[in-house]
Amino acid sequence: MTLFTKSDCSLCNQLKAVFDLEAMNVNIEELDKGGAASLAHLAWHGLVDDARKRLPLLVLDDCSTLTDFDQIREALAARAGQVPDAASCVTEPGAGCATGACSL
Amino acid sequence: MPLAAGEKQDSRLTGNDSTDLALFVRTTGEDITGWDRQRIVDALLRETLVDRGTAERISLEIEETVKKGAIRTITGPLIREMVNSKLLELGLEDARRMHTRLGVPLYDVEQLLVQHNKENANVPHGPEATNLTLAEGIKKEYALLKVFTDDVADAHLKGDLHLHDLGFIDRPYCSGQSLEYIKKFGLNLPHALSMAAPARHADVLLAHMVKFAAALQSHFAGAIGWDAVNLFYAPYLEELSDREVRQLAQMMIYEFSQQAVARGGQAIFSDINIYWEVPKHFENVPAIGPGGEYTGKTYGEYEKQAQRFAWALFEIYREGDAAGRPFFFPKPLVHITEKFFRTEGHEEFLELICAVAAEKGNTYFVFDRGDTAKISECCRLSFKLEESDLEDAREPWKMRYSALQNITVNLPRIAYRAKGDDTRLFALLTEQMELAVKGHEQKRRFIEKLLNMGENGPLSMLAMKLDGQTYLRMHRVSHLIGMTGLNEMVKAHTGEELHESDEAMKFGLKVIAHMNIVCNRLGEDTGLKLVLEQTPAESTAYRFAKLDLAHYPDQAREMLQGNLEAGEVYYTNSTLYNVGAPMGPITRVEREGLFHPLIEAGSITHVWLGEHQPDAKALADFVVKTFRFTNNDQIAFSPEFTSCIDCGRTARGLTDTCTFCGSDHVDGITRITGYFTRISSWNKGKLGELKDRYRNRFGD
Ligand SMILES: [Zn+2]
Repeated sequence: MTLFTKSDCSLCNQLKAVFDLEAMNVNIEELDKGGAASLAHLAWHGLVDDARKRLPLLVLDDCSTLTDFDQIREALAARAGQVPDAASCVTEPGAGCATGACSL
Repeated sequence: MPLAAGEKQDSRLTGNDSTDLALFVRTTGEDITGWDRQRIVDALLRETLVDRGTAERISLEIEETVKKGAIRTITGPLIREMVNSKLLELGLEDARRMHTRLGVPLYDVEQLLVQHNKENANVPHGPEATNLTLAEGIKKEYALLKVFTDDVADAHLKGDLHLHDLGFIDRPYCSGQSLEYIKKFGLNLPHALSMAAPARHADVLLAHMVKFAAALQSHFAGAIGWDAVNLFYAPYLEELSDREVRQLAQMMIYEFSQQAVARGGQAIFSDINIYWEVPKHFENVPAIGPGGEYTGKTYGEYEKQAQRFAWALFEIYREGDAAGRPFFFPKPLVHITEKFFRTEGHEEFLELICAVAAEKGNTYFVFDRGDTAKISECCRLSFKLEESDLEDAREPWKMRYSALQNITVNLPRIAYRAKGDDTRLFALLTEQMELAVKGHEQKRRFIEKLLNMGENGPLSMLAMKLDGQTYLRMHRVSHLIGMTGLNEMVKAHTGEELHESDEAMKFGLKVIAHMNIVCNRLGEDTGLKLVLEQTPAESTAYRFAKLDLAHYPDQAREMLQGNLEAGEVYYTNSTLYNVGAPMGPITRVEREGLFHPLIEAGSITHVWLGEHQPDAKALADFVVKTFRFTNNDQIAFSPEFTSCIDCGRTARGLTDTCTFCGSDHVDGITRITGYFTRISSWNKGKLGELKDRYRNRFGD
């Protein structure tokens, strides 16, 4: 999972406050701080224009994208339920993102 | 002792006459006529900062040399070079530079007169074209010496950067506008012999459009694009029968495709933007009709007339010219938007424009997703309309857009210099972009100087203020930063080409993302509107390849595309994938499209068709999928043709002989970068690329 955010985005900050994203293995891309690497990652998922309209965006492990804030929160809540103990979490790279299997 | 003067003529009396002419001298034996040492002194004092004593001394030394030498003919240029040599001996480098003579060697002129210049395939060979090339040559030298600082000029000469259209240094790059300007103000150009009031009839409006386009062509280096042509024509069409509308469409296409008399025999690089729907930003705009008067309706009410004209235009494109060849210009750019799909008749229209794309290749599909609106032109350039533009849309004659200049970065060379070091690669890229921006500032200052001379200056047409602001709206112009050879840069740095692995592709995205970020930052720092564009690189891809072969032979040899032995070398254009990569059209459009949102001034993906003629329905389906499921900005399909010079017939595919009469007197026709041309006019790099192109098939 990757959450595309900006450091000064209030919605994103709500999510960061509620969820321990790091423990949940949610990769956070702060577009205003991450430079070319973050922007390139966003472009790889074909989300540049979406991100120009709204943040946060959440890319799920199957490479589908959520743009609706409520849906993003639900997806994160579900994920938090699945990963109750962060320490026991096995690092699983996003199926699509890391292997590049994303396609239309 | 100084020689006696022949015709005594003070150059100060001849105003700014060329010193070269004034110094023309012929000698026979000991006799010299027309010699006046004073002219050397005058020229040095007028053009450089040397003091009178130095000027006198130099002139005396030159005179001594002339007197001793057995030269039969001493020309002004020769004397100027002798003076320059003295200036160098004296260590006066700045003075020598200021005293430079721009010109062309005899040998080069002869070559030019006889041989075809292939830098731009849109320039035919002929006396007028040669004039253009010679003038361009001198303006180019002038630009590199006077407009740009040494670091920028050197970067161009070495091939780190390419400053486009240096031979047109005194003009902006390209222009996009609507018909509303001439509909409202008529044809009213500064210094014209007559002024025409706003057109009352559709055919007169066409005449105004063509003449205005020709006038614009002589004030811009490149493309002249027209926004929403079918819509802005609509108020003139109500009284016309279908036959007359068709006639008008035919006249428009022939007028622009045969405008090969304007500049150097070069057709006007013209684009017409076409909408099936009435774009949202024009819906409620009061329409201007015959006589430049408001018709009392809005453009929203002219949808049917606009569609009638769009349909007629594409019927003409489908027929092609009298020999069945595709029309090269004007290029039709159809905007595909959300509203397009909600507009009645869009399925039939989409099928028609796809039939044209399949049979003749003309159609460009421009995708405006969401609320995006833009004007497209040139090979792929587009001007995204911002908030203030949408304000202007209420008075559409104000919508005039221009890119002042395009500067392209040689990406593979940066990889050669970085030697695998990531940090160094991005640092070098930033450095080159900063230099490009410096070049933009310098050209901008030069154009501003010319523009500020107003009605009596060289850019009087662009300085005219019929609506209260200058025609060229400097506060709205953009400055383009292009890129060539991303594919080879990635290959040199990572070992793989863009299509070969996701890692390579991701690195490519990082490079363009970096360019996007640096571009925005430099735009904020300088106050310039800086945007990335995919450089069409018709000659740049070849030029960079040749220069890298000279300067970085070991690395370039491994990275270049094409045929090294035949000299047909090139870099892949902009962010495109290797043209020869065997991949399906959907994958190409999708993957290349990932770059497009990062390149705000326009991108395109080419689908090379070759001999294969796909079904129009299959293409329509492809176009819809591209709109819905990819980020791709613009696509075009490129068929190939063989045109027989003997029997005049045209066949599909590229062949060595005519399939009808067997003659080998044939020429191929296909798209070079963003437009159709005859292949015989292509440069060697593009010929190499043509051989490599992987042709796609649909429906197999
Ligand atoms: Zn023939």
